[in-house]
Amino acid sequence: MMNKTAINTFDAIVVGSGISGGWAAKELTEGGLKTLVLERGRTVEHIKDYTTAFKNPWDFKHGTHLTKEELEERPIQSSHCDATDKHFYVKDSEHPYIQEKPFKWIRGYQVGGRSLTWGRQSYRFSEMDFEANEADGHGVDWPIRYADLKEWYDYVEEYVGISGTSEALPHLPDGVFLPPIPMNAIEKHLKESVSKHYQDRVLINGRVANLTEKKEGRGQCMYRNLCSRGCPFGGYFSSNSSTLLDAYNSGNLTLRENAVVKEVIYDDETKKAVGVKILDAITKEENTYYAKIIFLNASAIATASILLNSVSPSFPNGLGNSSLQVGHNLMDHVVNEGTYGTYNGLLDKYYEGRSPGTIYIPRFQNLNGNTEKTDFIRGYGIQGKGKRENWESKATEGIGVTLKAQLETPGKWRISLGGRGEVLPNYENKISLDLQNRDQWGLSLVKVHFEYGANDLAMMEHMTKASEDILLKAGFENVGSYRNSPPPGSAVHEMGTARMGNDPKTSVLNKYNQMHDVKNVFITDGSCMTSSGCQNPSLTYMALTARACQYAIRQFKTNLL
Amino acid sequence: MNRRKAIGGLFAITGIGIASFTGFKFFYGNSKAYRGQLQNYATLIAELADVIIPPTDTPGAKEANVHEYIIGFMESCVSNKEYTNFLNGLNDLQETCLSDYNTHFAACTTEQKIVILEDLNSNVDSNSLLSKIDKKIRGRSFFTMLKSLTIEGYCSSELGATQLLAYQPIPASYKAITKMERNQKAWATS
Repeated sequence: MMNKTAINTFDAIVVGSGISGGWAAKELTEGGLKTLVLERGRTVEHIKDYTTAFKNPWDFKHGTHLTKEELEERPIQSSHCDATDKHFYVKDSEHPYIQEKPFKWIRGYQVGGRSLTWGRQSYRFSEMDFEANEADGHGVDWPIRYADLKEWYDYVEEYVGISGTSEALPHLPDGVFLPPIPMNAIEKHLKESVSKHYQDRVLINGRVANLTEKKEGRGQCMYRNLCSRGCPFGGYFSSNSSTLLDAYNSGNLTLRENAVVKEVIYDDETKKAVGVKILDAITKEENTYYAKIIFLNASAIATASILLNSVSPSFPNGLGNSSLQVGHNLMDHVVNEGTYGTYNGLLDKYYEGRSPGTIYIPRFQNLNGNTEKTDFIRGYGIQGKGKRENWESKATEGIGVTLKAQLETPGKWRISLGGRGEVLPNYENKISLDLQNRDQWGLSLVKVHFEYGANDLAMMEHMTKASEDILLKAGFENVGSYRNSPPPGSAVHEMGTARMGNDPKTSVLNKYNQMHDVKNVFITDGSCMTSSGCQNPSLTYMALTARACQYAIRQFKTNLL
Repeated sequence: MNRRKAIGGLFAITGIGIASFTGFKFFYGNSKAYRGQLQNYATLIAELADVIIPPTDTPGAKEANVHEYIIGFMESCVSNKEYTNFLNGLNDLQETCLSDYNTHFAACTTEQKIVILEDLNSNVDSNSLLSKIDKKIRGRSFFTMLKSLTIEGYCSSELGATQLLAYQPIPASYKAITKMERNQKAWATS
């Protein structure tokens, strides 16, 4: 009979089952490694556990509204979820953290993590992004360049299924695309207007991880635009619909849900991590799992907190933290609240089906000598969507038969635009542990300290003015912007807390996402990001994960780990 | 100008009404205890919703059970302030009916019902800075909530979504640009 240690021993452990953890699970298991995936939340089985996916509007008692009680349990998450998808978001009341300055930490503790509810926007980083830190001296230099990642972008895009168009923009590289989700009449109108009025910018189809053609094991998008409930057709990419199923089918996957990771155990003798200590989320019982390779994919803030909590004689400041950079350089994307306008034309045009896609105006500032010199460095892109107003968005007048007639007919066209801008890495923006306050598992609470810098704020101002200008030039009316920007964290792109770099003195991970200090620990979630770019980052996490896994598997098979 | 309108105007200026006075008691008292009262007003709410969205060649709000949506929402989803505003609004409206028409709302003629609600409507459709501040401090007004919940409840009801509007649970394809057809209905969901 095997002893408990043997039963609890694997070739590899992956902490987290979200978008990057799912990829680590797929690659490692398909590479022949017996792999344990630890997920702190509950099981969500593809299709079966998408409990609201087929509900009609009238099947929700209060429409999409959360009740007062549900709101009180979710003071932070409630800006990002509603009655239709709240079960894929945590209750803040159960998972507290400390905001030293306002910072939204949006979380989904379940198998699949936030890959169930992500925005599905998928853009490559360009050579310019990988060179940005070196060029202007902020942060440290990336240890890789676009050429290092290109084939991995190709590899994950082919598998994920990204709809989009090739545009030959040097700052937004083309990829392996499925046919784009087409633009509707107002989006086309705006595209033409942007081309006519501006030399420096274009408007393109958003690149989204929705299948415009079916793939093996997954059906094509049904254009319901209910993605965040989980897609029973597998029409968009999530760990649940794709990577975890492949990992399971390899026969090498063990998935342990309700496993809250307490720490990574380090052996001072062998100078390696030997395993992971967990607490059962429900029974609070402690358990230890052992492996030769450990991948941390718990998301930027959680991964850093696990490292900081993993204290040993060799690493009194947290595992692999000889650089003292762990937890620092936290970034999100700077977003403005949004700009909108209505258009009083094209009223003979409508659409059928609900697009889950967007339009995108890629970054057009500070690109080369010909583009605008702004009072900030780096830049932002603008995402948007056009629709005709219906009862949800129409301002109605009166009551009775006239009101009914207004509700019955499609309203004016309306477009909303929102900027997504690069945040500079800044050592002062960080997460740390509060050793006095603990959660229900006795673990130190996470403290987040984050503030936008002057560059980030200048960008925010600029994106609002530029968005208004774009709509006004296209003949929109009632153009306006919400002036209050949402708090940092709202883009749900937190990253940078265990950055990659060439120098172990100033960075945590090397060019293969391997810890400089602890060679058998790899980190491929948002933590690893050396700079933030302005592109939605999940695609880059996936490409980096696949690349790091290939490296780790080779090292494992040649007994180097 | 009838008596109520004159008084109503005065209340609007001073920002204090009889209803608000009772409201203060509600607001400062044990708020939880006051929940659960709206089911008693179900008939009245159904009548009101049916004036806002009346039956035509498509069903009206009453048939679509919009009052149940309104009651459910008010009981579970709003602040104490807004709950109180709503409850007081219903009581005020009943008083108005009695003083102006000497009967209950349900017994008023269709024309009278329309006049009563249009009157309320004309007092709230303001987007001025003052009314925005007022909204923030005192919560949304009775009529603002009544109208928007009626629209919401109706348009997301099965009858509203599938008969007044066009609902496709599974479009299966996306035609990005179509030509508007004669009497084209708006999509129920977006």
